[in-house]
Amino acid sequence: MRYVIIGGSAAAIRAVEAIRSVDRRSPIDLFSDEPTPLFSRVLLPYYVAEELPKKLLNFRPLTFFEDQEVTSHLGVRITAIDPESRTVTADNGQNFDYDRLLIATGGSPIIPPIPGVEKKGIFPLKTMQDAENIYGSKGKRAVVIGAGSIGVESCISLKRKGMDVTLVEQLGRVLPTVFDDRASAIIRKRMEDLGIKVNTGERAVQFQGNGAVSSMSTEQRDINCDLVVLSIGVNPNVELARAAGLEIGELGGIAVNDRMRTSAAGIFAAGDVVETKDIALDKKSINAIWPCAVEQGYAAGLNMTGKKVLYPGSLRMNSIGNFIGQPAISIGMVSAPTETGGAEAGEAYQEVTRSSKDTYRKLILKGSRIVGATLVGDTQKAGILGVLIKKQIEVGEFVPLLMSHKLNFMEILPLIRRHSDKFSEPEYKELMDTGL
Amino acid sequence: MQVIMVDQRKCTGCHQCELWCGSEIASESKEIPFSFFDDPQPVPRVFVEGKPFALQCRHCPDAPCVEACPNGSMTRDENGLVYVNETTCIACWMCVMACPFGVINPSSSLKVAIKCDRCRNMGYPICVEICPTNALQLVEREMPKTLSSKG
Ligand SMILES: Cc1cc2nc3c(=O)[nH]c(=O)nc-3n(C[C@H](O)[C@H](O)[C@H](O)COP(=O)(O)OP(=O)(O)OC[C@H]3O[C@@H](n4cnc5c(N)ncnc54)[C@H](O)[C@@H]3O)c2cc1C
Ligand code: SF4
Repeated sequence: MRYVIIGGSAAAIRAVEAIRSVDRRSPIDLFSDEPTPLFSRVLLPYYVAEELPKKLLNFRPLTFFEDQEVTSHLGVRITAIDPESRTVTADNGQNFDYDRLLIATGGSPIIPPIPGVEKKGIFPLKTMQDAENIYGSKGKRAVVIGAGSIGVESCISLKRKGMDVTLVEQLGRVLPTVFDDRASAIIRKRMEDLGIKVNTGERAVQFQGNGAVSSMSTEQRDINCDLVVLSIGVNPNVELARAAGLEIGELGGIAVNDRMRTSAAGIFAAGDVVETKDIALDKKSINAIWPCAVEQGYAAGLNMTGKKVLYPGSLRMNSIGNFIGQPAISIGMVSAPTETGGAEAGEAYQEVTRSSKDTYRKLILKGSRIVGATLVGDTQKAGILGVLIKKQIEVGEFVPLLMSHKLNFMEILPLIRRHSDKFSEPEYKELMDTGL
Repeated sequence: MQVIMVDQRKCTGCHQCELWCGSEIASESKEIPFSFFDDPQPVPRVFVEGKPFALQCRHCPDAPCVEACPNGSMTRDENGLVYVNETTCIACWMCVMACPFGVINPSSSLKVAIKCDRCRNMGYPICVEICPTNALQLVEREMPKTLSSKG
């Protein structure tokens, strides 16, 4: 068996580990057009903020390829896949044969067609090079466009570097796809307390400057700046797959089956480049987050070796860690669909909330199942809610306990036992057998 | 591998395990009366919960916290024990969000994820050692045939 892997990040590296857990011998060739291997993108804002030195950005040791006996081709881009002859072509002209191929090409930042966007000093934050560009910027006044996770973290990074920071978001709140109005307001307050100017409901329309950016206009105002970070979102890198005739899904990600296989024999895909069924939303979604990329890479890798492993679907989850100084976690659905928002007939959604001055907790129920959870402040037990969402458990009369600060695993053991068919892993079974 | 099990009939909820865990593992002072003055305060990795029942990290064969950690700080040693490399942990709380048992403590004072590592550097778990009723015991984990430990 010959394995070829395109990409060298979360999904790709985890797939290598999965393959090697079964098959120590077969050759694996891994291609990454980024020259720096094995760093975690999630850490780039910490690097920009000077919280982490470069050598601590790795998520696997630098000896990884050697240890796993992988031939790595770093700084090499794959330009074509031929599913007929089962070969890939690299930008250095070489061809490589494969029996099993993994496409883990991730996503690319969206560069909005705003006049002046090509000026110097305007960067996305995705690659190590982007991080270096921002890190090395001598700017004093920064504008961040887009208040998603990367945008918000960029603001904190730049503030920590001592810059004057303004965030511009066209929707009405920060982290619009992660938090509801209430939770978002708490994060916004925290950002403003740190001295970040937050402008929501405002659209960037033009960049000015002679070569380098010197100001940005929104529909409301002009903001002087010498550094701009674009964090509008990412698009899956599907060009290779599309050109090879692979099926692309309705959302623009590579379509895969429940074993992470694409529409072509022998070709698998995982990570930010695929669309999968979202367990909480019960529809296709591109959940471009680290844990999903890792899980999908693992499932894809095992299936590539011939093992049969089902990927049950993805679940969006975001955590605002200590970086912002306000712990907050959101899993699954953000807000219950309103009538006009397209709730299907017959589905009863319910939101249960509870809040105090600095804490907020919300569950979204669909019938008797949790499909969304938000926790601000007191977050230690969030994962309990997460597993109930993931395993689609009918929680019934346990809702008050799940909402309470007394929530803990042993208190919900009767619920776990009731659904013991869905908790067959040894770590659950041994607790169920304790005779409580 | 071995796991810590609690005999619920014997667990009286005396919280000795929490106290000792906190001082033995996290305290600078290493002695309970003095550890009260530590700053930041020592944090336990075992939690006496429910109808008293001491629960600590289960060291899942397929651990969601390890998968979720974005920089490999949450990792597994050669004996299968899951632990946090506290020097690289960035306190992003992705592991907290992924832990189905809710036993990873997002310590805002220490700025690292705190969890039971079964006292891997001491060789024996202090909670099992000091439990006054012998409710806590180390037992061999029964693994189903189809599940091989991965990670
Ligand atoms: C700044 C930042 C902060 C983030 N923070 C978080 C966070 O806090 N929590 C979270 O869950 N997620 C976070 N994410 C998202 C997370 O990083 C991604 O979900 C994850 O990296 C996806 O991994 P992947 O392997 O699918 O793809 P990617 O990491 O996108 O890697 C794909 C790789 O493939 C390479 N490639 C593409 N095409 C080719 C080709 N033709 N030939 C060769 N190589 C190619 C790319 O250059 C890239 O190196 C963050 C992302 C960024 C950018
Ligand atoms: S808090 Fe630390 S151990 Fe947990 S996921 Fe983040 S970096 Fe890893």
